[in-house]
Amino acid sequence: MALTGRAGLLAALAAIVVLLAPEPGLVVLAAALVLTVLVAADLLLAGAVRGLRFQRDGERRVRLGQSAAIGLVVDNPGPRRVRGVLRDAWQPSAGAAVRRVTLDVPARQRRRLVTTLTPTRRGDREAVAVTVRSVGPLGLAARQRTFHVPWTVRVLPPFLSRRHLPARLARLRELDGRHPALVRGQGTEFDSLREYVVGDDVRSIDWRASARRSDVVVRTWRPERDRRVLIVLDTGRTSAGRVGVAPVGGDRLSGWPRLDWSMDAALLLAALAARAGDRVDFLAYDRAVRAQVSGASRTELLSSLVDAMAPIEAELVEADAAGMVAAVLSRARRRCLVVLLTDLNATAMEEGLLPVLPGLSSRHMVLVASVADPRVAGMAAGRGTAEAVYDAAAAERLRGERREITAVLRRHGVEVVDALPEDVAPALADAYLALKAAGRL
Amino acid sequence: MTAATAPAKARSRGRQTAWAALLVVLVLVTAVLPLLLTGGRSGGRSLDPDDTSLNGSAALARLLEAHGVEVTRVETPGAAVAAAGPHTLLLVTEASFLDRAAAGRVSAAFGDRLIVGSVPYLDVLAPGVRRQGPVRARSRAPECTLREAVRAGDAYTGGMAFTGPQGATGCYPAGDGHALVRYTADGHTVTVLGDASFMTNLRLAEDGNAALALNLAGARQKLVWLAEPDDPAEAGGPRDPGDPDDPGEGTDGQARSLGDLIPRGVKWAVLQLAVAVALAALWRGRRLGPVVAERLPVVVRAAETVEGRGRLYRSRRARDRAALALRAAAADRLAPRLGLPRTATAEEVAVAAAARTGRDPEPVLTLLCGPPPGDDTALVTLAAHLDTLERQVRDS
Repeated sequence: MALTGRAGLLAALAAIVVLLAPEPGLVVLAAALVLTVLVAADLLLAGAVRGLRFQRDGERRVRLGQSAAIGLVVDNPGPRRVRGVLRDAWQPSAGAAVRRVTLDVPARQRRRLVTTLTPTRRGDREAVAVTVRSVGPLGLAARQRTFHVPWTVRVLPPFLSRRHLPARLARLRELDGRHPALVRGQGTEFDSLREYVVGDDVRSIDWRASARRSDVVVRTWRPERDRRVLIVLDTGRTSAGRVGVAPVGGDRLSGWPRLDWSMDAALLLAALAARAGDRVDFLAYDRAVRAQVSGASRTELLSSLVDAMAPIEAELVEADAAGMVAAVLSRARRRCLVVLLTDLNATAMEEGLLPVLPGLSSRHMVLVASVADPRVAGMAAGRGTAEAVYDAAAAERLRGERREITAVLRRHGVEVVDALPEDVAPALADAYLALKAAGRL
Repeated sequence: MTAATAPAKARSRGRQTAWAALLVVLVLVTAVLPLLLTGGRSGGRSLDPDDTSLNGSAALARLLEAHGVEVTRVETPGAAVAAAGPHTLLLVTEASFLDRAAAGRVSAAFGDRLIVGSVPYLDVLAPGVRRQGPVRARSRAPECTLREAVRAGDAYTGGMAFTGPQGATGCYPAGDGHALVRYTADGHTVTVLGDASFMTNLRLAEDGNAALALNLAGARQKLVWLAEPDDPAEAGGPRDPGDPDDPGEGTDGQARSLGDLIPRGVKWAVLQLAVAVALAALWRGRRLGPVVAERLPVVVRAAETVEGRGRLYRSRRARDRAALALRAAAADRLAPRLGLPRTATAEEVAVAAAARTGRDPEPVLTLLCGPPPGDDTALVTLAAHLDTLERQVRDS
C-alpha cells in the first residue's frame, strides 16, 4: 500500500479544527479514527493490482542514436477500474523518456502504453520492473505492486561511417570495372573468354582458343574475388580509452571508447569487402574469444556483425596477443587478410604482439589499424608557455613511440593505418582498396 | 560565450543583484526594527548612583561621597530594609522597583526617607501626603523656611503638587500645593518631591539643583540608595500569589510560565501537525518500484597518460627530456622532406636542413642537437625555433 499527499493534507487541515475546538484532545483522536477508516475504505475500494496481466511488444533492436518504441499492454481482469500511476523501469542508459505515466484501465479491459527508449550507449538494455500504484476513489491511499515483465532491446553500433561507403564502392567499381578489363595486371584473375570486338586490345587475343573456334576470341580479366578477410577486434584495456567527441549518445564530451571507433571502421570495411566479393569473418578477443562471426552469407553479414558487436565491452585486462594469434591461425587456414584493430601502444605491442607477429605475418597479410587521439595532436601543437611546451614534449614522445612501433611493424611486412577517430574508417577502407588494387590479398 | 546567450547571462546577473539587495534590506530591517520598537533606549539606568549617562546620578553620588556621606547602592527592598538604620537616609526614586508589599516593608524601615519623583504607593511610603495634580517641572523659588531649600535657592522642581499632613513643611509652591513636602512621623523625617530631574547628571549643574540635592540626600551619614535592579522579577522577591492585596499591574503575569499562557489547543494542534508530517513522510518515502542499478563502463580519457607525463615533466623541470622529445619529433618530420632515410641522425638532418634553407649550419646544429635548454624560457624559445626551421624547410 501507499499513501497519497491528500492523506497528509487532510491531517494538516484537521490541525486547524483541533486548534479551534473546545476539546482538542478528543478531536485529535477522532481525526485519527476518521482518517484510518477513510484510508481503509479507500484501500478496499481501489482496483486490484494483484491480478493485472502484462504483455510487451515492439522493437528488439535499435541503432545507437535512434529511438525505439516499446509497447506495454496492461490487462485488468478484475471487477473494478484500476486508476493511478505506472512506472516502466528500464536501466538508466536505456534512456526511457517518461519515468511514470498515468494509468486508467476500466474493469475487464486493456490499455496499451508506449515507452520510448533513446539509448545512450551500446549493448543489451533490459526492462527491470513494472510498478503499478492503484489509487482508491477518495485518492487517500493506493495499492501498489511491482511486476517483472522482461524485454531486452539490443542497442547496435550506429555504423556512422556508412556515409563513406558510396565513395568507396565507386572506387571499387573503377577497380574491377563493370566492363571486364582486358589487360592482365596485378590483382586480377582470369575471368572469361569472349568474342573479339573492334577496339579490343589485340594483345589480349587468346590464339589457342581462337584456333579452336572459327572466331577471334579475347581473354578478359577481373579483380581477385573470394579472398578472405578476418577482422580481429582487440577488446583489451587499450580499447577502453576514450578519444575524440562521441558522435551519438549521452555524454558526448567525455569521448567515445577506441572500441566503438574501431567497430565503426570494421563495419565499413566489412560492408566494402562483402560488396567486393570477399568473405569476411570477425573475431573479438582480449584473453578469450568475446564474439565471432564466421561463414556469414553476404546478405546477412552486416546484420550478424552488428549483432555480435553490440554487447561487447572493453575488458580492463591486458590483451593476450599470443592467444589472439593462435585463435586467428586456427580459424584462417588459407591465406587471408588479417585486419587487427588495436592501439599502437608501444609497451603493449613490444611485450604482446611483436614477438608473435612473425608467425602471423608469414602466413597471412596483416593490416593493423589504430585510432589516434586528437587530444594528443592538439597537445603536440601547444606553444607559448612552459606548461604547453612540456605537454607538447610529452605528446611528441608518445607520437615518436607510435612512429617507432609503426616502423617496426612495417619492417615485418605489416600494413599500418593510424588515423584520427573520424578518419580511421575511411582510411582503413582505402588501405583495403589499395591492397586489393595491388593484388596483395 | 555567444552573443545570443549574453543577454540571458546579464539578466541572471541582474536577478542575482536584486536578490542580494533584497537580502541586505531584510537584514537591515530585522536589525533596526527591534531598536525602533523598543523606543531607542539610549542605555543607562535613570537615577542610578553608578550611571554616568544623562539620566543617571553618578555625579550626585560622587559629590555626596566627597562630602563624607557613605552611599550604599541597593537593588531590592529587602536589602534596603537590611541596610537601613537609625542614622540612615533611604532614597526612593521613581526608578526604584516596588510593589505594595515591598513599599510597606520599606516604610516600616528605620531612618529617614527621601521620596523623589512619581513613586507608586505613595500612600504607604508617605501616609498623609496627597497628590494635588500634575504641574510643570521648571525652575522655582523655595518661598519657604526649610533650611535645605532656602540655602539652595532656585531649583528645578515640579512634576506633582502635594499637600502634607498637619505640621508638614511645603516648599516650591506649585499649583494647589507644593513641589516639596517634608513632615516628621514616628521620629522619621519623610521628604517627598514631585520631580527627580534635579538629581540627574543632566540638570545637577543648573541653578541650585546640586545644593538642594546635596542638602536633602546628604542629611545623614549614610545614604541607602534604592536603585533600579538588573532583573525586576528578582527585586520583587518571593511573593504570595494568593495575596488579595496584590493588585499588580502585570505582576500576575510574572508568576506564570510561558507554557501557561499558550492555549491548550495549540499543543494538540502541534500533535496533529506531527501526524500530518508523518503521513506526508510516508507519502514521499514510498518509492514507485525498485531502484534500478546498472553496471557502467569506465570513463577514462585515452590522453590521460600523456597529460600525466606532461605534468611530470613540468614538476621535475625535465627540460632535457622535453627538449629531446621535441628535437626528435622535429628531426623525424624533417628527414623525409630533406630526402633522408628515417634512420638519419640529427646531425645529418641539421646539415641537410641548413643546406636547404641557406642558413648557417652552426645554429641549426645547435638547435637540433645542442645542449638542453637552461631554463623554461629557453625551452619555449627552442620549441618556437624548431617550428620556424620546419616551416622554412617546408617552404623552401
